[in-house]
Amino acid sequence: MERRHSLRSHTIRLVALAAALACRPADHAPAAAGSTVIDDAGRTVVLAQPAHRIVSLSPAVTELLFALGVGDRVVGRTTWCDYPPVVRLVPSVGDGLNPSLEALAARRPDLVVLYRSPLNETAAAQLSRLGIAAVVLRQDRLEDVARAARLLGRLVGRSAAGDSLADSLSRLLAAPAPRSRRRLAFVVWDSPPIVIGAGSYLDQLATLAGAENVFHDIAAASAAVGLETIATRDPDVIVVVSDSAEPRPPALARRPEWRVIRAVREGRFVYLVGSLFGRPGPRAGGAAGELRRLLGQVTR
Amino acid sequence: MDHELILDVRDVSYRYPGAGAGADALAGVSLAARAGAVHAVLGPNGSGKTTLLRVALGVLAPATGGSRILGRPAAAWSRRELARVVGVVTQREENLFPQRVRETVLLGRYARLSLWGAERPEDRAAVTRALERCDVLSLADRWIWTLSGGEYQRVRLARALAQEPRLLVLDEPTASLDVRHEMELFQLVRALADRDGLAVVLITHHVNLAARFADRVLLLSGGQPAGEGPPGDVLSRETVERVFAWPVSIAPFEGRPQVIPLRKDHT
Amino acid sequence: MKWLGLGLVVVAAFLGAVVLGPVHVPLAGLAASDIVRTLRLPRALLAFLVGGSLALSGAGLQALIRNPLADPFLLGLSGGAGLGAVAAIALHLASPWALPLAAFAGALGATALVYRLGLVGGGELDPRVLILAGVAVGAFAAAVTTAIVSLSDAAELRNTFLWLWGGLSGASWDSVLVLAVYLPLPLAVLFAAARPLDLLALGEEPARHLGADVESLKRRVFVAASLLAAVCVAVSGVIGFVGLVVPHAMRTLWGHRHRPLLPAAFLGGGALLALSDTVARVAVAPRELPVGIVTALVGVPVFALLLRRWTTS
Repeated sequence: MERRHSLRSHTIRLVALAAALACRPADHAPAAAGSTVIDDAGRTVVLAQPAHRIVSLSPAVTELLFALGVGDRVVGRTTWCDYPPVVRLVPSVGDGLNPSLEALAARRPDLVVLYRSPLNETAAAQLSRLGIAAVVLRQDRLEDVARAARLLGRLVGRSAAGDSLADSLSRLLAAPAPRSRRRLAFVVWDSPPIVIGAGSYLDQLATLAGAENVFHDIAAASAAVGLETIATRDPDVIVVVSDSAEPRPPALARRPEWRVIRAVREGRFVYLVGSLFGRPGPRAGGAAGELRRLLGQVTR
Repeated sequence: MDHELILDVRDVSYRYPGAGAGADALAGVSLAARAGAVHAVLGPNGSGKTTLLRVALGVLAPATGGSRILGRPAAAWSRRELARVVGVVTQREENLFPQRVRETVLLGRYARLSLWGAERPEDRAAVTRALERCDVLSLADRWIWTLSGGEYQRVRLARALAQEPRLLVLDEPTASLDVRHEMELFQLVRALADRDGLAVVLITHHVNLAARFADRVLLLSGGQPAGEGPPGDVLSRETVERVFAWPVSIAPFEGRPQVIPLRKDHT
Repeated sequence: MKWLGLGLVVVAAFLGAVVLGPVHVPLAGLAASDIVRTLRLPRALLAFLVGGSLALSGAGLQALIRNPLADPFLLGLSGGAGLGAVAAIALHLASPWALPLAAFAGALGATALVYRLGLVGGGELDPRVLILAGVAVGAFAAAVTTAIVSLSDAAELRNTFLWLWGGLSGASWDSVLVLAVYLPLPLAVLFAAARPLDLLALGEEPARHLGADVESLKRRVFVAASLLAAVCVAVSGVIGFVGLVVPHAMRTLWGHRHRPLLPAAFLGGGALLALSDTVARVAVAPRELPVGIVTALVGVPVFALLLRRWTTS
């Protein structure tokens, strides 16, 4: 309760300070002071001081917070947050999809970070009404992660670290991809066959790894396609993303109709473990490198 | 005329499942239908007329007694076999589909068709004969929804005749017909018995027409037989007043008793 | 003449399914093409067998329940199949046949329950009770399915709903073979029931007196129609509208006699599904639409047209 009172009075001070500092660019606000950001849902979020009790409802955000050096301030996470391993000591507040406001409030956070979805936007509005600052961030592609790093940096008072992380991710994205002739397709479901398209960060990873996603022409993040389409585009490798680390050929490999695809016939599969590859995050560089290495193993 | 015994119902009793004791739908009823004769089944509503029909044709199994058709127990007949011998015009029929008269009468040939075989010329001939017999041949290509009530009843009778049965059973065939169509139907039924030697069982609550056209009547009251025999014997004033719980007077017409209900004025 | 027209439609739909696709295969190379032999040909055959079976099942059920709105999935079948499929995925069953078998088992389980509920005193099936039981069982199964989905690993189970929406993407010569072995018996039972079903249209009592064994008929038709629908769900998910609309469309041309209607419905349903699948594969290439959406998009306007004809005639 006292935090809310101080929040209000600090907000008034902040507005005065902002007016006085009008000439200075917003992203150079002094570390110890409060911050104002506009999140990916267009909401303006104001913090009087750097966040000290943060609930992260997104695994990528959890990783970012640890990367920014404020992992000790994370007081709530989702069941999917598993990196770095020490975060498992933090209590989980659900799967991040439709958060229970009671569970969230019980952690007494001063900042909750959610990933962008319609349900979460509603939850964020409700949290604001409870006086808890809530930030909604898009998490679809690597540029979203870069932007999140910058924004989170400001919210936790580590702007420099945030900006540097954002810049390195941006550089990674802008780096000319080392070319190879490897062509791949990500297959995430078999009936119906669902592949990854250009809208997904996995497509970005493929580019970073120097490979070509044969379904790059599909704008969506994922799409159902016909087997004959996959067969004709003839990827060298089929990339499978699963939760277990076991590199076992997927069930589809045994089905006769899938064997029209050369990569299935020849058993050229690459297995990506969900934790590292299942979502975009600060470890993208390492992920791309790992993917490139795995591709090299399977193709000539 | 050969008076072969077609239907022989002996002393049947039946109670519907779930009915209490003493609520027998039928108790000790007998009926014998012979070729060439019209046998009417009369009685107030709920006296067991339709139940008797179902027990007689083996649809329901009686608690006591039995029913035989052409000497064989009703239960021993398969539905298909029985349909070649007995033609039934039920009280109600809900025809879901638009049909022409000839098509609906053709349904009567089902029991004589083989499983996969098509309709044969003899089937179509039987249909034409049945239509003729019921005086609806001119309506053969009409849609049945365009028919009047009386015409539709005669079409249903034609369908039963298309089965080429020995026994014809009609359950309240004139229920919603006017005078002219009632008379036409009863006359037709009489002619079928006389000319074609069919045995006819006619369930009706039109007591007077039954008295004029039937050779024998069975009068039911609360599931029990109140009289069986020629109309003159069964339809006495005492019996009718008891069964129908209404004062009547009996007047003869063409040698048959006619029931005239009296007024019950409360002064 | 009508049969000739229907035959032409069937041939055209089949040819379309084989010749057309997201990938261009030149006519000259059709016979040698791996894609055609391994993918399109079995898929076209599967579409025919499934579409025909659904239409036939729908026609049989409409006659049995004496309700023109009957559909093979009315009687709780799709709910049971969905529950079976979700259970198989939640249990992480590995075999490629696990999903279809589980869906089939779920469908049959739901059907058996509906049958049991539909038996009234004396072991007789009451069609009105059947409908109510079907709606209830279907709703219950759908609720349990949703509960499992909401409590479990979201991603895989979300994909289950895509499968349930209907798709012939899993078509192979194996699945065609399974259908070829399985279908003849239920198909034969339904075709043989054509004449008695005409009698049943008059009502159960008149049908009985005309020589139909009504109890056996109701059982046979219900079981055969359910078996057909169950195997279709197992192989290709829930494809709606084919079983509902095709029998009605065929009735406008062939009338209500089941002897010509049932075969016409089978052929018409097969052609419709083959055509819909071609559209599903080609319309937004390289992406594929779930075929259940295409049959609904085609089926609904056709249905509306038919309704207008009925109400104006």
